[in-house]
Amino acid sequence: MSEAQVKVHVDKVNKSYGENHVLRDISLDIAENEVVVMIGPSGSGKSTFLRMLNQLETPDNGTIIVDGYDISDKNTDINKVRENIGMVFQNFNLFNNYTVLENIMLAPVELKKLDKVAAEKKARELLETVGLSDKADMPVSSLSGGQKQRIAIARALAMTPDIMLFDEPTSALDPEMVGDVLDVMKNLAESGMTMIIVTHEMGFAKQVADRVVFFESGKIQESGTPDQVFDAPKNERLQEFLSKVTHA
Amino acid sequence: MFKKGILVGLLTILSIIIMFGFTAGNHLVYADEPDYTISTDATYPPFDFQDKNNQYVGIDQDILKEIAKREHFTYTLKLMSFTSAAQLVANEQADGIIAGMAITEERKAVYDHSTPYYKTGVAWIVKKGSKIKSLKDLKGKTVALKTGTAASEYGKSLQTKYGFNVKYFNDTDTMYNDVAVGNSAATFEDMPVIQYAIKNGVKLKVMNADHPGNAGWYGFFVKKGENQALLSAFNRGFAAIKKDGTYDKIVAKYLGANQSTFTGAKKDNFSIWGILKANKSAFLKGLWQTITLTFLGIILASIWGVVLGVMGVSQNKFVRGVSTMIIYIFRGLPLMVLAFFIYIGLPGVIGAKIPAFTAGVLTLVLNEGAYTGAFVRGGFEAVEAGQMEAARSLGLPYRTAMRRVIMPQGLKIMVPSFINQFIITLKDTSILSAIGLLELTQTGSLIVARNSQGFRVWAIVAIMYLIIITLLTWFSNWAQKKLQ
Repeated sequence: MSEAQVKVHVDKVNKSYGENHVLRDISLDIAENEVVVMIGPSGSGKSTFLRMLNQLETPDNGTIIVDGYDISDKNTDINKVRENIGMVFQNFNLFNNYTVLENIMLAPVELKKLDKVAAEKKARELLETVGLSDKADMPVSSLSGGQKQRIAIARALAMTPDIMLFDEPTSALDPEMVGDVLDVMKNLAESGMTMIIVTHEMGFAKQVADRVVFFESGKIQESGTPDQVFDAPKNERLQEFLSKVTHA
Repeated sequence: MFKKGILVGLLTILSIIIMFGFTAGNHLVYADEPDYTISTDATYPPFDFQDKNNQYVGIDQDILKEIAKREHFTYTLKLMSFTSAAQLVANEQADGIIAGMAITEERKAVYDHSTPYYKTGVAWIVKKGSKIKSLKDLKGKTVALKTGTAASEYGKSLQTKYGFNVKYFNDTDTMYNDVAVGNSAATFEDMPVIQYAIKNGVKLKVMNADHPGNAGWYGFFVKKGENQALLSAFNRGFAAIKKDGTYDKIVAKYLGANQSTFTGAKKDNFSIWGILKANKSAFLKGLWQTITLTFLGIILASIWGVVLGVMGVSQNKFVRGVSTMIIYIFRGLPLMVLAFFIYIGLPGVIGAKIPAFTAGVLTLVLNEGAYTGAFVRGGFEAVEAGQMEAARSLGLPYRTAMRRVIMPQGLKIMVPSFINQFIITLKDTSILSAIGLLELTQTGSLIVARNSQGFRVWAIVAIMYLIIITLLTWFSNWAQKKLQ
């Protein structure tokens, strides 16, 4: 792929917590409009890797370039970079002190991307795309998990990011809520958003991923198209992992 | 920005108080008349006490007033417990002390004293009707002494010989009361003081009226080598009032007097309503002082506490360390130690007098502010880490995230702690009576000192505190509802 298309460039990144070496020499490039799904057992380092892409975690060494900014460089204004990277968390993390609408409007207004009127208009449009227009003035505590997660996605989209990170977005949801959230994500993928997703939803990965990356013991053990990874896995540990998740 | 705003605000308010305190502490001084600060024991009848009109009177006070008039000087009185009053002179916070203070060898090393003005000796005293006949009967019993007095030193000197235990008190009335109710078997006190008290209805008995122990003299004291002009003026004035009979009149006025002369009609002292009526202005002033201290204490300590709390969750390690250190120090210091340190200790170092009110407010702000800082920091930390991560992931800078997301949630968590701290602040103002602030508790002490109606007076004071606390609680709950 050509330089211009690379959205995320990661080169030889390492991270340790004390004795625990969670990421070992990770290198990965992600292109614009690409949807990358990261799978692997718990503690394999995939979430830590994802959180490094917007510097919620800092690498011990190595280079991370996102959107053309070298975020492993201390002089980079990380707040500016983060404005273009949306993130969705396992536990939603909606701001408890605001209503649904205020949650979505907070960042665009604070960071002066939009004035209040424009921000509200945009927020209402986003609520419509995630199918929750009627919840605009509710306090977030009154929502179900699935609704919260769709609001969280709308909140991230309000900043018009060009990359979206998803950290196990459906793991904390009741099974009947998962579909709604995945539908929103599918639409987003179809619209051409660059997405990096950590998930255990293998069916979803097969459907939407351009590339599936398998993490194990802090390393990328295998990566490829969904067909390659799920139907013809080469790595022994990947085979073992897949047999466990598909028989569970 | 936000933090700076708070800091600037706090400093402004503090400096206003300090300036106000300084001006309030001074009074009009004529150019040709020197003005002195004289410390005295707040409750030591018949030498020093407050009468029913809230005037400080007594043998000491009348002598001082008369001498000041004749020698053309003015003075500001500082009313404290005896030991604190003496320390004020030693630390040059006050120029002289008159407080029924006996001339002893030890004191001569620290102070210069005037011509002795009153002959005294130490009495040993038991409860009226007590079975104790001689000092030997005190073996194994408890003896009540007042800290720092010559009488207590005398009592202590007999401790080994007669084998009694010693319990210390800070003021005379509590000490008498301890003997009167039978907690302590005996006490030692200066002869004229106990004679006046017994004459006025304290149910105690002097055991050695004819043979006072350790006979000695009272003097007026200045710090050794300092304020010699004041000392000479006192001596000249004293010689004059002694010569023309004024001195004898003063002594007769107090030792010959009935309590009612100074404390109002007897019937007033035997009902709560009567005491309340007779001391209306004193109680109101005390109440107002307590309310003022509480109000300023709550406002300023809350501001300071939030500043400390915000510093405590700062990204900067050094700022966090400063916050932790300040909280550690001022939460660790007992309030009274802090008050003494600021009021008595600090002026010697910074070379300026600190008015008691300013010292009191500062004490409250530092102490209550440290507690507030600790729970404010805790409240911020109690907000889920995910809230901060989500805010930062949107590109909000740390400060904006704190201000718009973390602080509003944290403050909500802290509301009950704030209300609790407000009530503690109100109660803690009573400790400031130790530095002579005439708040409700000190007012109570002064009234009990002259009318010996401990139960009724303290019941009144207790009820007054409960009323303010009730109002404060109502207000807080109302504010809490508004916030939710």
